[in-house]
Amino acid sequence: MDIQNTQSQMRKGVLEFCILSIIRQGEVYPSDIVEKMRAANLHTLEGTLYPLLTRLKNAGLLTYRWVESNSGPPRKYFAMTEEGLKFYGELERTWNELADAVKALTTPQEETTTTE
Amino acid sequence: MKKVININFQGRVVPIEESAYDVLKQYIDSLRRYFANEEGRDEIINDIEGRIGELFSEVLKKGSTCVTEDDVNAIIASMGRPEQFDDDEARVQSQLGSQQYASSAENAGTGNAGGTGSAGGDNTTYNNIPHGRFYRDENQKVVAGVCAGIANYFGIDPLVVRILFVIFAFGFGFGFITYLVLWVAVPSSASAVIGSPKKRLFRDPDNKLIAGVCSGLAQYFGVNVWIPRILFLIPFVSIVFRWHHWGSFDFPNFLSISFSPGSLLIYVILWIIFPEAISTAEKLEMKGERVDLNSIKNTIQQDMTGFKERAEKFGKEVGEKAQQFGRDFGSRGRQFSSEAGNMARRGGSGVGHVIGVLVKIFVYFVLGSILFGLSVGLFVAGTALTGFLPNKNFVLASGWENIFAWGTLLLFIWVPIVGIITWIIRRVAKMRANSKAIRFTFVALWIIGLFCLIGLASSMYEDFKYRSHTDEQIVSIPNPTVKKLELRGIYPASDDEHYWFRIDPFESIDGDTAYVKNTRIRLTTTNDSNFVVSIKRYSNGSSRDQAKGLASKLTFNFRQKDTLLYINNYVTFTEREKFRNQLIEITIAVPPGKRIQVNQSAGGWGFEEHVDFGHNWYYYDEDNNDERRYFDYDRDREYINKGGRLVRYGWQETRDEDNSDNDGDDNDTNNSRVQQQKVQKDTTSGGYRYKEPAKNPANNKKDSLPGKQAKADTRMTLPTAFIQRFSI
Repeated sequence: MDIQNTQSQMRKGVLEFCILSIIRQGEVYPSDIVEKMRAANLHTLEGTLYPLLTRLKNAGLLTYRWVESNSGPPRKYFAMTEEGLKFYGELERTWNELADAVKALTTPQEETTTTE
Repeated sequence: MKKVININFQGRVVPIEESAYDVLKQYIDSLRRYFANEEGRDEIINDIEGRIGELFSEVLKKGSTCVTEDDVNAIIASMGRPEQFDDDEARVQSQLGSQQYASSAENAGTGNAGGTGSAGGDNTTYNNIPHGRFYRDENQKVVAGVCAGIANYFGIDPLVVRILFVIFAFGFGFGFITYLVLWVAVPSSASAVIGSPKKRLFRDPDNKLIAGVCSGLAQYFGVNVWIPRILFLIPFVSIVFRWHHWGSFDFPNFLSISFSPGSLLIYVILWIIFPEAISTAEKLEMKGERVDLNSIKNTIQQDMTGFKERAEKFGKEVGEKAQQFGRDFGSRGRQFSSEAGNMARRGGSGVGHVIGVLVKIFVYFVLGSILFGLSVGLFVAGTALTGFLPNKNFVLASGWENIFAWGTLLLFIWVPIVGIITWIIRRVAKMRANSKAIRFTFVALWIIGLFCLIGLASSMYEDFKYRSHTDEQIVSIPNPTVKKLELRGIYPASDDEHYWFRIDPFESIDGDTAYVKNTRIRLTTTNDSNFVVSIKRYSNGSSRDQAKGLASKLTFNFRQKDTLLYINNYVTFTEREKFRNQLIEITIAVPPGKRIQVNQSAGGWGFEEHVDFGHNWYYYDEDNNDERRYFDYDRDREYINKGGRLVRYGWQETRDEDNSDNDGDDNDTNNSRVQQQKVQKDTTSGGYRYKEPAKNPANNKKDSLPGKQAKADTRMTLPTAFIQRFSI
């Protein structure tokens, strides 16, 4: 079993949740998302982000508007829709459940694994 | 020193190094391919381009005069290469996820989690497939994975199953059908678990010599790359060894070897059919490896080292251009093949795939054969006509015809040959071959050549329009009283077998005189007691008079030695007279009870191979008042005049007696070897009357009646050993 593979699978699962949580806090520009995630030590590529944003937008969870920029082409700023908020709520609930479950499982399990 | 170009990128003018532009273009193309099946492809790429544009303007703001290759590489690194993106699994997962978001938000979270689970599960469950259920193993397949599936099911080595299958099942013939049935009936391992690997045929661009067909095959069958390469080369090498056959234009031979280049043809066909493994995922599929992040990473690392080596070898730019062309070609080929059979490829379910591929192979084989035949034909024609060039004055008349002939030869024949060779060389050397200017030049030159051909053909048609002949002329042979006459050919004195090049009808050229094997020997019977030899000269010309004039210039030489009659085997004409299909027709009338034999060496060319539609073959005779009948005959066989008919001497003689009353019956089985050419029964004699030459007063000046001739010649031929030579 490859450790890197498992790690990337784990990260992949929470990627959308993280992105949505950033957008929920207010209108953002994609490179801001990358910056914020990097600041939180969660590295992601812009090339991965753009398709994901487009998919979420096409699913009706996000919306965007064009903002003129001084330093290049107009920028796309993303914001959450009503549906997106609802969806985010679901994800958050699942995440909390999952986090609790993982926490609950990992703490006592340490004893069993060491004995084995 | 680097060239800087200005590009319009996302509505901004960006000065960029040309090499950096190439890198950028390649990157965006790779994104385009990567997102090819994505719903919002253009939007995603536009977004990414927008971001790149922004980063460019940041670079320029910092004071750089232009965007350098390093800048582009840094930007690409921050954006990530497609290979670094979450690959197929992630896409499947998030697509599944997004569908579920759309349908119900409530299930979305679990759906997403489930997607992750199944994607993660692939890696672990894959190895568990074989237990309990029977699948065709797409990962280890050679044809369709049936044997590998059986092997997995019973937990034995696939090689054992394959060998058993080949020996037993295929040996008894129905194994093939069994295999097909299993192929259809047994589900593929790929259909059992989404995202599990499926081995497919690709062209391998990383290990290619020409187009990567062989290395793709090697990857598919898991053998050393040199095995398919050598298999492809063996027949090709064999043509090279047999190349000397081509010089003589021996056509049956030539046709038989045209199958050897089949390997080349198959290569080209496979080249068109197999898609190139461009993306990392495709490269992994080609090897039947699992597509996941780790394997992709490994592959990229291999790619990088491989790329470095290649870059050192050829230089980066050439490589990029070649890849570009390869890709263009690949995508075009793919487009074409999807037209040929949309049942095949991607969906690729079992038999449909195979049938599609077979149909395609067949279609491409036919098309390829036609193309190959055409180019070989062109080459042969080109070589033949070029070889003939020194002799053109023997055929071509006016200045215009010369110009047309040159135009036809150079533009109509050699231009396409050069074009094809150029294309092949460019292809092999991986040069860009889409230069429109060159293509248009070739086509334009060829069209001029086509007009030259039309001009030449119409001009030649005028030259050959009329055909005329001289009156029949009796030739007095020294000793017409012999019991048997054997005809042999005389060859031109300068005849030399060591020509480097020779076109069959043109026997030889001697100074300004050409010798052409254009003679014809006809056999008939006569009631006279002596052999009667007569000749008739034919020629074409632009007018009837010219044709007749050319015909009358033909000379006929012969000599007799006992029973051997040597006749010249050719017509001669000078450069001034030109070749106008001059022909001498020699008629030998055989007296009753006397024998005739025509030697292989005598008379014309292509005589044995003439196209004979059934046995009712009549010589075309312009004046059509010839009442003689002519007999078909074989060379080197002896015939005898029996009751006005020529029959094989010896073996059919006795049986022939019985049927003598059936004289002239075409259905006479005993005379199957002697076919009648012309049946015009002379009612007075009951036999076939020889048309008396006395009726042709024109001939009386030179030639006497056969009877007189015989008397006159007996004196001359007393010393029979003495060879006399006559000329008319």
